[in-house]
Amino acid sequence: MASLFKDPTKISAYRDRRFNGTQEEFEQALLNSTTVYIGNMSFYTTEEQVYELFSRAGEIKKIIMGLDKNSKTPCGFCFVLYYSREDTEDAVKYISGTILDDRPIRVDFDWGFVEGRQWGRGRSGGQVRGGYGKLVQRELEAQRQLVDYGAGSLGTFPPVMPPHYGKHGGGHGHGGSYRHGRDYHRKRHRDDDRHGREAPKRNSDHESRRASDHDSDSRPEKNPRFRESGDSDDEEDNDNKRRP
Amino acid sequence: MSSWKSLLLRIGDKSSEYNSSSDFKDHIETCFGALRRELLHSSSEILPFLLQCSEQLPHKIPLYGTLIGLLNLEDEDFVKKIVENTQDSFQDALDSGKCDIIRILMRFLTVLMCSKVIQPASLVVVFETLLSSAAITVDEEKGNPSWQARADFYVICILSCLPWGGAELAEQVPEEIERVLVGIQAYLSIRRHTSNSGLSFFEDGESGGDIEKDFLEDLWERIQVLSNNGWKVESVPRPHLSFEAQLVGGKSHEFGPISCPEQPELPSTISAVAYGKQKHEAELKYPQRTRRLNIFPASKTEDLQPIDRFVVEEYLLDVLLFFNGCRKECASFMVGLPVPFRYEYLMAETIFSQLLLLPHPPFKPIYYTLVIMDLCKALPGAFPAVVAGAVRALFDKIADLDMECRTRLILWFSHHLSNFQFIWPWDEWAYVLDLPRWAPQRVFVQEVLEREVRLSYWDKIKQSIENAPALEELLPPKGGPNFKYSGVDGQGKTEQEQALSAELSNKVKGRQSAREIIVWIEESIYPIHGLEVTLSVVVQTLLDIGSKSFTHLITILERYGQVMAKLCSDQDKQVMLIAEVGSYWKNNAQMTAITIDRMMSCRLVSNLAIVRWVFSPENIEQFHLSDCPWEVLRNAVSKTYNRITDLRKEISSLKKGVISAEEAASKAKADLEAAESKLSLVEGEPVLGENPAKLKHLKSVAEKAKEEEESMHDSLEAKEALLARALDENEVLFLSLYKNFCTVLMEHLPDASSDVTLQSLKSIHGDSMAVDLEESSTMEVDDENGIPKKSQSNGGKASNTCNVKEKEQWCLSTLGYVKAFSRQYASEIWPHIEKLDAEVFTEDVHPLLRKAVYSGLRQMSNEL
Repeated sequence: MASLFKDPTKISAYRDRRFNGTQEEFEQALLNSTTVYIGNMSFYTTEEQVYELFSRAGEIKKIIMGLDKNSKTPCGFCFVLYYSREDTEDAVKYISGTILDDRPIRVDFDWGFVEGRQWGRGRSGGQVRGGYGKLVQRELEAQRQLVDYGAGSLGTFPPVMPPHYGKHGGGHGHGGSYRHGRDYHRKRHRDDDRHGREAPKRNSDHESRRASDHDSDSRPEKNPRFRESGDSDDEEDNDNKRRP
Repeated sequence: MSSWKSLLLRIGDKSSEYNSSSDFKDHIETCFGALRRELLHSSSEILPFLLQCSEQLPHKIPLYGTLIGLLNLEDEDFVKKIVENTQDSFQDALDSGKCDIIRILMRFLTVLMCSKVIQPASLVVVFETLLSSAAITVDEEKGNPSWQARADFYVICILSCLPWGGAELAEQVPEEIERVLVGIQAYLSIRRHTSNSGLSFFEDGESGGDIEKDFLEDLWERIQVLSNNGWKVESVPRPHLSFEAQLVGGKSHEFGPISCPEQPELPSTISAVAYGKQKHEAELKYPQRTRRLNIFPASKTEDLQPIDRFVVEEYLLDVLLFFNGCRKECASFMVGLPVPFRYEYLMAETIFSQLLLLPHPPFKPIYYTLVIMDLCKALPGAFPAVVAGAVRALFDKIADLDMECRTRLILWFSHHLSNFQFIWPWDEWAYVLDLPRWAPQRVFVQEVLEREVRLSYWDKIKQSIENAPALEELLPPKGGPNFKYSGVDGQGKTEQEQALSAELSNKVKGRQSAREIIVWIEESIYPIHGLEVTLSVVVQTLLDIGSKSFTHLITILERYGQVMAKLCSDQDKQVMLIAEVGSYWKNNAQMTAITIDRMMSCRLVSNLAIVRWVFSPENIEQFHLSDCPWEVLRNAVSKTYNRITDLRKEISSLKKGVISAEEAASKAKADLEAAESKLSLVEGEPVLGENPAKLKHLKSVAEKAKEEEESMHDSLEAKEALLARALDENEVLFLSLYKNFCTVLMEHLPDASSDVTLQSLKSIHGDSMAVDLEESSTMEVDDENGIPKKSQSNGGKASNTCNVKEKEQWCLSTLGYVKAFSRQYASEIWPHIEKLDAEVFTEDVHPLLRKAVYSGLRQMSNEL
C-alpha cells in the first residue's frame, strides 16, 4: 500500500553470489519467489518453533534448516517455503526484525531453494555472517532506533504511567523491561568480557545470547543433535572481513 | 529524493526538513516556497506526487489543501489540473467501489473548499448526489434495501467530511448544508438499524447488539454534538485560517457533477435467502471500517469531545492502512498525529479493535502484533502499560468474548510476550487454578502458555512463570511422543506387536520401498493380525521414524505415505489413522495438528474423516477445555478453503490466458487470410497468395496459435471441472460439519421447548457448590467415558468468577465455535444455504444452534 516511503525496486540488499544469472534475473526470481531465507537464528531453534511463528503469515509448504556442513547440525539459518506469494510477502514484512527464541531474526525473499543450499557456507562449516551478518546488524540497529523515535506529539509528553504492567508494583515492568532489553546485549557483552577474550571474533550478539541462556543445561536435552559451539564463519571463497 | 519531495512528505512532522519546528504555518510557507520555485520545471512531477501524498497521508490533508490553495494564487492551471484529476479519480472510485479512495477524496475536496479552490456549492452537490443514491437504495419500492451497506457508506462519507469543513460550510452555505443534514436525518428514519449481532466482540446480553447504536447512528450523534458546538474540532488542524487573507484571492475551480453507480438489481425471487445473499455481498463490498471495542474505563478517554474520538480513529486506521509493511513510518505516524491531546488509550483500543475485528481484520493479525510491538518500543514509558491494561480488560471479560476473538487474542498475546522475554505478572492470574477446568479464564491462560511453549521451549516458559509457580499445572505436557512400541512398557500381547514394529523399522532403515512394505503387510501382517494391530503398528512405527522434526515427518509421509494410504482406503479407516496420530502425539498438540494437516495435504485423510475424528467422543469432551480439536478442525476447513481459492485464482488467470490466446489465434488467422488473398507476382504472372515460404510460415503460426488456444480452453475446462468438484465436496463438508454440531448440541443443550437462551445458560449455576458438583459429575460425557473428573476438586473452590457449570460451558463454547466457523466461511456457506436449510437446519434443530449459525452468517432472524 504505502509506496511513498518504500523503494519498490529495491527488493533485497543482499545478492547471493551463488545465483547463476544476471542481476535482473536475480531480482525477478525474488519478485516471484515463495521462499524466504531466515537468518540470525539461534542454533537451538527447532523447525517446530519456526513453523509456529511462520505459519502465522500463511500455510507453510516446507522448512529447510541450514546445517553446518561438517557437523550436520543447525547453524543459524533456514528456508521457509510457502504456497502463496502473498503469504511470503507478509512473512518478510511482519516477521523480519522480530524475536524468535530470544534472537532478532532477519527474513528476506530468497530466490528459491535448491539442493545444496542447506549447507552453511562458512570455511569451518557454519553459516557466513559476513555479508548477511552485517546487513542483519544494520537492520537491527535501525529497528532499535525505533525506541528513540517517539518524536511525535505523544513522545513530547512525559510518561505518566508507571513503566510496568504491575498492579502490584515493583518487579518486572514491561516498559522498563524493554529499556532493559534494549541495552541488554551491550550490557551482557560487557559482563561477558571474559568470554569475549576467549573468543574475540565471535559475533557479540550471538555470544551474549548464549551466555545469557539460563537453560543451557536443559536445552541440549531437547535438541540433542545441536552442537554447543561454533558461530559465524567466513565464506570459503570470500573476502569479507569479519566484524571486529 | 529531491528536496521539494521530502518537504511535501515530511510536512507537519517534527523533522530535520523543517528544523524540528512544529509550527504548521512555517511548514506551509517553507514547503510552498520550495514548490513555487519548482513549479515551472517540474509541475508534471509535483502534481501526481502531491495527490499521492494526500491519498496516503490523509491526516495531513489540511496542510496539503492549504498548500494547493496557495499554489492556486500562483498557477491556476496547475490547480485546475489537480481538481480535474481528483474528479476523475473520484468518479472512478465510485464506479468501482473503492471505499478508502472515496472517503479520502471527499475529505480532500472538503479541504480544497476550505482553501477556496472549489466552491462550497460544488461540495454540497457531491453530498446531495450521494445522499439521494442512498435514499433510493433503502426505498422498498424503487431501491434495494439489501444493499443498505452501500447507502450507509455514502452517508458516513458525507458526515465524515464535516469535521474538516463543517464550520466553513455552515458559514458560507448555511441553508444548503442544513438541507443536507435534514436529508440525512430523513435517511436515518427510513434505513434499518444495523444489528451488530454476529459481529460484535462480546456476547453480553441477548439483545445487546440491537440496543446499541450502530456505526452510522453513533457518528450522526457525534456530528450533532459537533454542530451544536459551533463545529469546533481540536483534532483537525485548520492551517488555512492563517492564510485566509491570501486564499480569498484565489479563483475557484469547477467541480463537475459526479454520478453514483446504478442501484443493484433486486433478486429475481424475493425470499429471505435471496435477500440474505445480497446483503452478504453488499457487506463484503462495503464493509464497516471499524467497530469500537470499549474496553477501557470512560475516565481514560472522557476528556475527548465525541468527534475527536472519531477523527483520531480515522487517522489511526489510515496510518495502519497505508503504512502496512513500513514499520518505522507506521510507528512514528501513529505516535505523531497532529492532535493536541494524548491518545494512547484510544490508540490501543483502535489497534485491538482491528486485531479482533469480525469477520476479518483488514490485514493478518500478525501485522497488528508487529504494530503493537513497535509502539511498545516507540513509547516505552507509556504504551506497554496501556497494552497491559487492554489485556487485563479483555481477560476480565473473556467469558463473553467471541470465540474467534479469543483465539486471536491467544495467538497475539503469546507472540507479543515472546518478543518481550516472556515477562508478564502471572501471579495476578494465579487464581485461575482455583477455577474449574472449563472456566474461560483458565482455558485462556492454559492456551497462552501452550502457544508460548510452541514459540519457545518448555523449560523457558516454566521459568517465565516463576512468580506464579503453581501455574505449572497449566503448562502443556513436555511434549514428547507417546510411542506404543518404545519397549518401555511392552507387556504381554504387545510383545508380538513390538517385534513387528521393530521389523518394520528395520525395513525402513534398510530403505525398502513402499511397494515392498505393502507386499509384506498384505502377505504376512494383515491376514494374521487383523486391521487394528496392523494399523497401529504401521502408523505408530512410521510416525515414530518421522517424529524428529517437521521435515522428518514430511519425508516419511512422502516415502511411505502410500503404505498408510493402502491400509486406510476408506473413511472409517482414515478416522482410525487420525486417532492413532492423536494417540502418538497426545502430549503434543502442535505435532498432532501438524501431522493431521500434512496427512490431509498428501490426501492420506479427507477433510470428512478429520471432521468425524474431531467429533469423536474423546474430542467432544475437550470442546470446552482445550483448543486442540478446534485447531485441527480449523486447519481442515481452511485447507479446503485454500484449495478452492487457489483453483479460483488459477481459473481467473487461465481465463485471461484464454482471451489473449484467442486474440493471438484470430490475429494469426487474419494475417494468414490477408496473405492468402493478396495477389503477388510469380514468374511475372499474378497469383493469389503471397510467396509460398512466407505463407507456409504464417500457416504454421496460425495453427500453433489455434492449438495454443485449444489447449488453454482444455486446461480451463479441466480446472473448472476441478473447481466444481471442490465446491461439491465443500458442500458435503459443511453438511457434515453442521450435522455433527447439530447432533452433539442436541445431546447437551437443554430441551428446546424450555425457551433457553445463551444468557440463561450463563446464569444456570447451582445455589450451592454441593449441588453444582453433584450435577456436573453426572454429565453424559463423563458417564460415557468414565473419565475421572479432575475438576471436582477444583470445582469446590470455584466461586465468584466462574459460576457456569461444565455442561453449560460446554454448550457455550461449542455454540461460540459454531458461530465462528459460520462467520469465517460465510461466503462459502451462502451458496449452499438452501441445501443446509433443507437437510440440517430443519424445524427440529435446536433454536440456539440455528441462532448461532444465522448470526454467523449475518442472516437476521427478523428477515426470515
